[in-house]
Amino acid sequence: MNDMTRQGAVDPPYLYPGYRSTTLRSPLEPLVELAQGAFDVPGPLVPKSFVRDQDNDLTMHGKSAPLGEKMILTGRLVDEAERPIRHSLVEIWQANASGRYHHPGDQHDAPLDPNFTGIGRTFTDADGWYRFVTIKPGAYPWQNHPFAWRPNHIHFSLLGNAPVQRLITQMYFPGDPLLPIDPVFNSVPDETARARMVSTLVLETGIEGIALGYRFDIVLAGAKSNPMGL
Amino acid sequence: MSRTPSQTIGPFFHESLRWRDGGKVAFAAKGRPIVLAGRVFDGAGKPVGDAMIETWQLSPTGAPAGAAPDAANPSGYGRVETAKDGSFRFETSMPGGALPCIDITIFARGLLKALRTRVYLADEEHVRADPYLKPIAASARLKTLIAAKSGDSEYRWDIRLQGEGETVFFAF
Repeated sequence: MNDMTRQGAVDPPYLYPGYRSTTLRSPLEPLVELAQGAFDVPGPLVPKSFVRDQDNDLTMHGKSAPLGEKMILTGRLVDEAERPIRHSLVEIWQANASGRYHHPGDQHDAPLDPNFTGIGRTFTDADGWYRFVTIKPGAYPWQNHPFAWRPNHIHFSLLGNAPVQRLITQMYFPGDPLLPIDPVFNSVPDETARARMVSTLVLETGIEGIALGYRFDIVLAGAKSNPMGL
Repeated sequence: MSRTPSQTIGPFFHESLRWRDGGKVAFAAKGRPIVLAGRVFDGAGKPVGDAMIETWQLSPTGAPAGAAPDAANPSGYGRVETAKDGSFRFETSMPGGALPCIDITIFARGLLKALRTRVYLADEEHVRADPYLKPIAASARLKTLIAAKSGDSEYRWDIRLQGEGETVFFAF
């Protein structure tokens, strides 16, 4: 199963000149192919105490509610055989509604929101589901090329239950006009693979009169050791 | 089903992915303390000051790390960000097993997909004989996977993402 998913089939190349930062950071030598299953071994077990109540609600950590369009973000973490990845750590980070990160390196001239740091974590449940409460992040300009703006996105870090499943990716929003011109999004060569990074609007998982629902399912590599978790 | 593609970690991950004591690797039973330290460089020889490095290794007894019930972080797993000068540092225990080594994953702005490699805390003769490295057993580049011992318990190992002395990275 791992061979199906190796470099080239789904992921972006390391060197993608449209994204300038890849120029000096992409290896020139071919990657070394190890025996199959080299990364399909049990991975880190995250203690339950690592995630606290409300870590999955990014709107609860200020004195009042953050600015922006409130959203309920749900999805299911599965492997390529559609088996749930259980009790597995999901970490997210995002810009605020104005498109500014709570990060000293972000010098974008947009306001910080004292009620929003844009950081969340949770575990998937026994069926692979996760849920966050947050606000829709804003788009923001970056230095890659003239008039470069990143589309609205939320960063996801997934530990999975085996090293072969480790993934960092970004979730995008449906219908975003910046998607067709974003080099990071378009570094993924296959159109159907790109589409898997776009969430869908699902009204029923929102909260009537309060929050929109978005759904983002994530598929990690298959692993023999998959269905364990803590 | 097909996998979700990888995307870059970007430059703004620090506070969100920073783990308390992420650079102090815990085990259920502590072994001989060692330090793994080094720097990350790009293809121009400049330090990569915004990378995140993760480590995964066997326990000091050579068993899989398993759970460390009292620890705040996963047993056997380390995570740090590089400093502005590209440096990183892990305090861990000497991995058990016949050939001590630590699996390394590197994320950074400009890396659309993580890089995987492995650092060996052993001498070259033994590393060359590792069946895991069979595809590069004869390569001069294999040396990029071997840490230099410095003092009693410190191992120095730099990561070069591109160009001269480029570290061997693994497909996955």
